[in-house]
Amino acid sequence: MLAGMRDALALPAWIVCLSLVGVGSLARDVGYPVGVAVLSTVLVWAGPSQVLFFGSIAAGAAWSAIAFAIGFASLRFLPMTVTLLPLLRRPGQGFFAQALMAHYMAVTVWTESLRRLPAILPHQRVSYYLGFANACILTSSLGTFAGYYLVSALPAPLAAGLLCLTPIFFLSSLVAGIRHGSDAAAVALGFCLAPLCERFIGGGFDLIISGVLGGSLAFGVRHLAARRA
Amino acid sequence: MTQPIAWLDGAHWPYLALILFAFLPTEIWRWLAVLFARRIDPDSPALEWVRAVATALLAGVVAKLVFSPPGALALLPLWLRLAALAAGLAIVIYDRRKVMYAVLGGEVVLIGGGWWWLG
Repeated sequence: MLAGMRDALALPAWIVCLSLVGVGSLARDVGYPVGVAVLSTVLVWAGPSQVLFFGSIAAGAAWSAIAFAIGFASLRFLPMTVTLLPLLRRPGQGFFAQALMAHYMAVTVWTESLRRLPAILPHQRVSYYLGFANACILTSSLGTFAGYYLVSALPAPLAAGLLCLTPIFFLSSLVAGIRHGSDAAAVALGFCLAPLCERFIGGGFDLIISGVLGGSLAFGVRHLAARRA
Repeated sequence: MTQPIAWLDGAHWPYLALILFAFLPTEIWRWLAVLFARRIDPDSPALEWVRAVATALLAGVVAKLVFSPPGALALLPLWLRLAALAAGLAIVIYDRRKVMYAVLGGEVVLIGGGWWWLG
């Protein structure tokens, strides 16, 4: 448990923390209470979902469209959890113990755990994992809290900087995670289609339409190219 | 701004909205993974399509936040917001492991430019 915490606090926990500072600022901007901002980090524990939530409210999206978009953006947790659970499963764990471990699944915890857990003795893995993940959630909750209050206390250029943390961080990590051409196409199409759909479709469902359209195009092009080769 | 659902509105609305429209749509996949872990192939084409849509969705949110920005960010001109994104992008394309530097670089451009623009 302590080893996991120590490893998290060495760097990864602070990176997640920084990425969620902007979420606090976004929550403040739509006028939601600070409790909702911090709870979103503890309960949702997925930067993209939180950004979609507060960002879509700011943009005036329909509630059903918000839930749908967040559901889609979170579907990645299904394969991620499926690949990580075998490292953590022990005899005697029931559904709830496993569901609790799965709750901590998010990009940073996943990549770091896949890298570190195999080197740890199987019976120590769960406590290492919980220590690591809880340290990340703790620093991130503090970051979200700080972002909420800082955005209205700071002079305009710095407040703008806080609100811009989220788009810069997410675009950079999306690009850093690109594995092949179709990933790059999905990023570019999503980026370009969203403002276009906002202008020409609007009505609260424009983001989900641009995402499904852009993602399907990127996926389709890759598979057509693969079939031809 | 998305308005609360009228018959559920009240002091607890933001918490309720968070649970219904953010927590549940996210958490459901973690639970389903626990239930069906042994029957899901993480490399199937269906999940690849899901990944592409999720990527496009996220890039779309980034675009929305930059083209129709919240609060203080709207005080800065569009070209400056795009320049900040481009600075981060350039750094991360140069070296993929340097996401932190990309964020710092983008922020320096935005805050520095913002100070000059508003000052």
